[in-house]
Amino acid sequence: MSLRVLVGCKRVIDYAVKIRVRPDKLGVVTDGVKHSMNPFDEIAIEEAVRLKEKKIAKEVIAVSCGPTQAQETIRTALAMGADRGIHVEIPAKEMEKLEPLHVSKILAKLAEQEQAELVIVGKQAIDDDSNATAQMTAALLDWPQATFASKLEKTDGELEVTREVDGGLETIKVKLPAVVSSDLRLNEPRYATLPNIMKAKKKKIAKMKPKDLGVDLASHLEVVEVVDPPTREAGIKVEDVDTLVTKLKDAGRI
Amino acid sequence: MGYRYCGARPTLTTQSHPPQIVKEQILAETELSHKHLTPELKLHLITPTCRLWTSPPPHSPFLDPFWAFYWPGGQAVSRFILDNAHLVKGKRVLDFGCGCGASGLAAKTSTAKHVTFNDIDKVALEAVLLNGYQNNIVVDSLLSSNLIGSPSGQYDVVLVGDMLYDTEFAHQVLCWLQNLHESGSLVIIGDPGRFALESHPLKKLLMCLGKYELTEATILENRGYTQAFVWTFR
Repeated sequence: MSLRVLVGCKRVIDYAVKIRVRPDKLGVVTDGVKHSMNPFDEIAIEEAVRLKEKKIAKEVIAVSCGPTQAQETIRTALAMGADRGIHVEIPAKEMEKLEPLHVSKILAKLAEQEQAELVIVGKQAIDDDSNATAQMTAALLDWPQATFASKLEKTDGELEVTREVDGGLETIKVKLPAVVSSDLRLNEPRYATLPNIMKAKKKKIAKMKPKDLGVDLASHLEVVEVVDPPTREAGIKVEDVDTLVTKLKDAGRI
Repeated sequence: MGYRYCGARPTLTTQSHPPQIVKEQILAETELSHKHLTPELKLHLITPTCRLWTSPPPHSPFLDPFWAFYWPGGQAVSRFILDNAHLVKGKRVLDFGCGCGASGLAAKTSTAKHVTFNDIDKVALEAVLLNGYQNNIVVDSLLSSNLIGSPSGQYDVVLVGDMLYDTEFAHQVLCWLQNLHESGSLVIIGDPGRFALESHPLKKLLMCLGKYELTEATILENRGYTQAFVWTFR
């Protein structure tokens, strides 16, 4: 019954940072910018740790693909309660060209190697908002998927997952092994305390390269242009209702 | 959203400070706690009421203060020794990786003849002295060398509280402990069920001597562990 859970966690620009487009318009400024774990991935880690606390999981493995600093993200996951980490090294330069399909192939391969019975990832990363890794990982493994999970319950050999869908909640059952992606309401990630940060330092992080896993990082996508969202124009104040109605008529809104 | 690592920053380490300053730092940053499985021992620990509990490590004057927490396995060994005093009575005891020294102090309380407190962190050994003083227990001897692999003829009993936290290190420790056992020492291991021990081949050679339910505070901070076990070699 005890599962081995593989959790993907991505190092992204911190959610509180104001994003700036690079002068070459082919990406955003990342140098000297605060990074942290993708918030949806924190939720994924938290859920895996809770499964361990309920004795449903026996081991939680945190995986991150990225440059050297991705290890900080893995350490955070370990401090939250993951048992060990795997760092798939991608040089900073190649990071921009890393696509969800590459990450999915890496996760799928690792899930097989580690004999994981459950893969949990955030529903999307807040940098590229692709929302594709969970789905493609499931497809590559030919495992069932339960995306946008807001509740997870284990029944015999199955997971009952409540999903956040348009217009409400949907409850599905998936057979294990399976891939789950976490939505915002799944849980509230814990704060890592000093004793757990210290324990995390003793935990192992294995290092490997995509080619060790037989994953080719050839690009399938090309970035044509990155631009800021259009700035909102300032509104105006009107004196009374009549003026408002006139303005709206002039603007063709009513 | 949880603690984020903020990279390396200069850290004030206590290792180079004279013992008196280290003692003062320990007193300033810890609380005397008895909210654990051995309430008869009051220990200087970093608890949720201390500022360091939620501070990022660079804010700590101590480098990796493992001694400042009473880990589940250590609690189990100490409780077991207090409840089974005959095992250490009149014996020469080694508290290996002693941390705050609780297990060794438990052995002294249980009238062990001589206890050696061993930890590679010298700050831990200062904490042992403070904890001994607090509980009116004489600390016989302190040792800061790494004993893994050393012969141990001089100890009748070896106490090991929560040292099997990572697979590689657990392997080194367990192989050494097996040697100690074969050369006649009674090895007593406390562990909450960490993966490194559970998955180790030598686990088969261990026999459970005791099982303890952890206190609520300990459970909260130990991610899924609700019990701790005491083991010895068959």
